[in-house]
Amino acid sequence: MLLALIKIAILLGGLMTAAAYFVLLERRMAAWIQDRIGPNRVGIPLTNIRIFGLGQPLADGLKFILKEEFTPSHVDRALFVAAPIVILVAALSLFAVIPVGSFLPSKVAGHPLSDGPIEMTVAPGVDAALIYVFALSSIAVYGVILGGWASNNKYSFLGGLRSSAQLVAYEVPMGLGILGAVLAAGSLNLSEIIAAQADRGWFALLQPLGFVVFSVAAFAEAARLPFDLPECEQELVGGYHTEYSGMKLLLFLVAEFLHMITAAFLMVILFLGGWHFPGLTGSSMALDGWGHPGELWLWGQALVRAGVLLGKVFCIIVFFMLVRWTWPRFRYDQLMSLAWKVMLPLGLINFVVSACLEQLQGTLGYAWLRWVAIALAWIVLFGAWIGVSLLGSVTENRPRRPAQPLESDLRA
Amino acid sequence: MSSVLLPTLLLVIAATLLTLGMLAAGMLFGPRRTSAVKEMPYESGMDPIHDARRRFDVRFHLVAIAFLVFDVELLFLYPWAVANRTWLAWLNQANHTEHLTAMAEATQAVHVNPTLVFAEIMVFIGILAVGYAYAWRKGIFRW
Repeated sequence: MLLALIKIAILLGGLMTAAAYFVLLERRMAAWIQDRIGPNRVGIPLTNIRIFGLGQPLADGLKFILKEEFTPSHVDRALFVAAPIVILVAALSLFAVIPVGSFLPSKVAGHPLSDGPIEMTVAPGVDAALIYVFALSSIAVYGVILGGWASNNKYSFLGGLRSSAQLVAYEVPMGLGILGAVLAAGSLNLSEIIAAQADRGWFALLQPLGFVVFSVAAFAEAARLPFDLPECEQELVGGYHTEYSGMKLLLFLVAEFLHMITAAFLMVILFLGGWHFPGLTGSSMALDGWGHPGELWLWGQALVRAGVLLGKVFCIIVFFMLVRWTWPRFRYDQLMSLAWKVMLPLGLINFVVSACLEQLQGTLGYAWLRWVAIALAWIVLFGAWIGVSLLGSVTENRPRRPAQPLESDLRA
Repeated sequence: MSSVLLPTLLLVIAATLLTLGMLAAGMLFGPRRTSAVKEMPYESGMDPIHDARRRFDVRFHLVAIAFLVFDVELLFLYPWAVANRTWLAWLNQANHTEHLTAMAEATQAVHVNPTLVFAEIMVFIGILAVGYAYAWRKGIFRW
């Protein structure tokens, strides 16, 4: 209980800080890509020390607190307040089962902290962890559609509708990608999925097509560019949070950032090997201190593993930010055809192929089949790539009926 | 309450408290000034006509139904995906040269024949694919 509370305090503090500082990082990267300077002024107050703008998130937070907490009169009050609460609580609670490392040793300098190794998860040993993650990430749809509906504003309403349709559409390919990883690991527990990858190779290597499908779906679920149609500011002002201001807007924005962090964590844990790095972290699930006796080695290994996992997550988040300033936004019909006509069949193909290969290896049991399976999986990836580009016209949306001549043209 | 899920519940409670605390801080420290324009729905400076809750495109409804169909069918596959590796491991514990005996033993041990279940799953996906092709042909995915 006490251990769980300590973990929760560290997790919530870490997440809120990370979200705040990733905003700063994103602004600095945007500035760098667009050849601007970006926020670099705010440092220590009352002095002239600027420390690269590291005070900016604190100043932003303070400003949000001091802004008016305004609820317009035309909205549905209860739902209007409930929407940001629902979306942020779900986005935070989701991290209960997500590991941020492997284990910590149970002792510091001889003093026991716990009766066993401490798993770096708030709720270790939840068997249905992935189902829980999946369920809570779906709750984001409720927050979005409640916010859009309650605002009683046409921009919000359209943004909420678009957003819910997008989130719902990309949940199917996301589920298919996860299913491939679950099949390969034989478990829904995220720590065990990492252990399976440390043992048998990263799933991005074994199921490259599944990784691609999952990553695209994760971008869409996090509503990042090129999938940021829920809040495309040029068309819908702010989408579902047009009417929100002050702290309630902050809750929505933090939840959106947390969705991106979640997506990065899931990509790393399900497909990129979690804490595992060949030749650096050891590949057994329990800590072995690289074969050296002594707690110091165990602590070293535990920290290296956590560092590897968080480092991978950081790289994925930087990738998210680079993508944001690289691709333009999709049109809504392109978004929908990508989900239903490209990603869904690709996900099914990945699932069927990896299930067949898995079954073949399992029943025949030859060791060399493993390499054949990997080669085949990569051939399927490139085949799918070529296939999609050849069949591109199938997924294109042609006008549903030929354009009618104008009345004035008929008279002439 | 199982001890495995207790930390999850604690986190949900802590997250709710944090969120409510943030909202409360905003309410305590923020100013309160209202005006007629501020109370209006934002429509880029135009005076809004009509309520915002109007009829909308039926395709959103179709997407929701298609999602329900495919997502529920996917959920049926999860139990098999979790269990399959264990079954195959049981199969492999026996020597693979005596394949048929091993299969028979595994079938007895878990009352399940992994190959048969695999075939059933493939039939299931086949039916799913037929439904998908039908939906595509019907134009559900056309936007």
